[in-house]
Amino acid sequence: MKNIEFKAVKKKYDETTVIQELNFSIKEGERLVLLGPSGCGKTTTLRMIAGLEEISEGQLLMGGTVVNSVAPGKRNIAMVFQNYALFPHLSVWENITFGLKIQKLTEQEMAKRAKEALEILNLTGYENRKPKELSGGQKQRVALCRAIVKQSPYFLLDEPLSNLDAQLRQQARTELVKLHEIYKPTMIYVTHDQVEAMTIAQRIAIMNKGELQQIDTPENIYHRPANTFVASFIGTPPMNLLSAHVRDHWIFIGDACVPLDASWDKVIAGRSRITLGIRPEKCLLAAEKPMVPAEVSYVENLGSQRTLRLTLKNQENVFVSTKDFTQAAASTKGFSFRWEDVSVFDYKTGINIGYPTKEGGKNHEIFN
Amino acid sequence: MRTKLDKNILWHLPLILAVFLQLWPIIFMASTSFKDMDQIFTSTLNPLPFPPTLNNYVAVLEDFPFLTYVYNTFFIATLVTVCKIATSVLAAFAFVYYEFKGKETIFNFMLLTFFIPITVLIMPNYLLMSKLGLLNTPWGVILPQIADGMGIFLMRQTIRGIPKPLLEAALLEGAGAFGILTKVVLPLIKPSAIAVTIFFFINSWNEYFWPLLVLQDKENYTLPLALQMFISAEGGSEWGIAMAVAMLTSLLPLLLYLLCQKYILSTFMQSGVKG
Repeated sequence: MKNIEFKAVKKKYDETTVIQELNFSIKEGERLVLLGPSGCGKTTTLRMIAGLEEISEGQLLMGGTVVNSVAPGKRNIAMVFQNYALFPHLSVWENITFGLKIQKLTEQEMAKRAKEALEILNLTGYENRKPKELSGGQKQRVALCRAIVKQSPYFLLDEPLSNLDAQLRQQARTELVKLHEIYKPTMIYVTHDQVEAMTIAQRIAIMNKGELQQIDTPENIYHRPANTFVASFIGTPPMNLLSAHVRDHWIFIGDACVPLDASWDKVIAGRSRITLGIRPEKCLLAAEKPMVPAEVSYVENLGSQRTLRLTLKNQENVFVSTKDFTQAAASTKGFSFRWEDVSVFDYKTGINIGYPTKEGGKNHEIFN
Repeated sequence: MRTKLDKNILWHLPLILAVFLQLWPIIFMASTSFKDMDQIFTSTLNPLPFPPTLNNYVAVLEDFPFLTYVYNTFFIATLVTVCKIATSVLAAFAFVYYEFKGKETIFNFMLLTFFIPITVLIMPNYLLMSKLGLLNTPWGVILPQIADGMGIFLMRQTIRGIPKPLLEAALLEGAGAFGILTKVVLPLIKPSAIAVTIFFFINSWNEYFWPLLVLQDKENYTLPLALQMFISAEGGSEWGIAMAVAMLTSLLPLLLYLLCQKYILSTFMQSGVKG
C-alpha cells in the first residue's frame, strides 16, 4: 500500500507552531490537492512528506512505515518544484537521467524510461538543450519528465504551474491528469489556485493558518463547505454568508422575513442566530416578490455571465451570478433561494451545522 | 557629442597615468633582462635594449640551479593551492548545506582571522614547525597555509547563490552530500572556484616572507628567495641576471592569469552564480 498517513503531525519553528496537529490520510493512487492561502502551511506539509522539513511532533507514515527519520533520498519520492529546479549545467537528457544514474540503472533501462517520458511530454528533439534554452512551459515539462522517469509511487508537486501563463496552465493541467492516469502514483499537489484544485483533485485538503479545514471531494468542498472559511475561500465570487436570526419557524435576513423550510427544523432547532450560506449562482433573481428584497448596487460583465452585487437594507452585500443578460435582471428587486441550495453555519464558530437527511435528522458525515 | 568626448578624455587621463605607473616597472624589468651590463648603466631610462641580448637568460639557466628553484616553488605553490581550495570548498559547502549548532558563531570567528596581522602569526607558526621538525622542508612552508579564511568566505558566498531547490532536488534524486557537492555545486561554482584557485596559486608562487623564515638551505629555496640572492651582496650587481630571473618567475603566474582571465573578471563582476 503506497498510502500516506499523518498522525498528529505538528511543525514548529522554535516556539512558533506553523502546522497544528494534522490527522488525515491519502489513499494509494489518489490525486490530492493541498489548497489554501499563502502562509497556510501547505508547502510545509508537502516538504514534510518529501523529508525536506523535519517533523516536530507526531508520525508520518508512508506505505504503513513511519518515515519521520528516513532521509529524503530514501523515501522514493518524485517532486516537481515551483521554479522547476532544473540543473542549469546539465542538458535536458542529463537532467532527466540524473536520479536514474544515482539509482545505477542500466543504460538501456535509463534510455527506455527517458525516451518514453520525453515522448509523452512532447519533448523529443530537445534532449541536448540546456535549461536556459527552453521556454517556461518546456522547463516545466522537463521537470515533470524528471519526476516521472523515476516511476516513484509518490509524486509531489509544489505549485508547478504558477510560473506559466493562463493558456499554458490549462494545457498543463490536462497533461498532469493524463500523466497521473498513466502512472497512477499517489499524487500530492500544492496550490493556492482554486481552479487548479477543482480541476485536478480527486480530493481537496483545504488548509488555513496551519490547520486542516476540510478534506473532501471537490463537489462536497464546493457545495457542502465545512466552515465559513472554506465557503468563502472557494468560488468566484465566494459563497454569500448572511447573518440571520431564527424565531419559531421564521428566519430574518436584513429586514426580510423568510419561512423556514420544515426539512431544516431539526437541524436548526435551538439556535437563535445562524449564518446562512448561498452560492451566487444559486441565488435566483426576482423582479417581483423576492424572498429577500435588495437593490442592485453593481453589475460586472464577465462575458459568459454577469455578477450582480445586491445590497440589503442592513448594508450586507449579496453576489448573484446569472446568465440572464436582460435589462430586467439588472433591475431586480431582490433575490430568492431554494432551501436545498443552502448551507447553514454556527453563528459564532462558523462551523457547518449539517444538512437535513431524509429521516429528518442532521447529516455530519462529510466532516469526518 | 564633443562635450562627451572631452569628458571621456578627462576620465581617461588619470587612468592612463595609473596604467603607466603599473606597467613601468614591468617594462623596465623586461628591457633590463635583455640588456648587457653596459647598456643597463648607460641608458637607464631607455626601455628599448639595443642590441637585445639573451646572455642573461643563458647565464641564469647555465650557472644557477634555476630549474631546482622552479621545481621547489611549483611544488609548494601547487600543494598549498590544492589544499587551500579543497578546504575552502568543503568548509564553505558545510557552512551552507548543514544546519548545526553554533554555525554562525563559528563562521564569524573564522571571519575574525582576516584581521589578525600575519606578523602575529609568524612566531607561533614558526615554533610549531620547529617542534614538528619541519623547518627547512617544503612541508614547513605548506602546512600552516592549508586553510584560508578568505577562501572559505568567498566560496561560501558563491555557494549561497545556488538556489536551494537545486540542492533539494538532487537530495530527492538520491544524491548524498558528496554527490550534491560534486555533481551540482562544483559545476555551478566552477568559474569562481577557478578564479580563487588562480589567486591562491599566484599568492603562493610569489610568497617571500614565510619561506624565507622556514627555508634555510639554498637548494630548498623558492624563486622569490632565489631572486633575492642576485640582488643581495652575494650576487653583487648582476642586475641583468636578476631581471632575467624575475621575468622567468613572473611568466607562469602571468600565463595562468591570461588563460583564466574570463573567470577572474566574471567573479569580480558578479561574485556569485545565478540559478
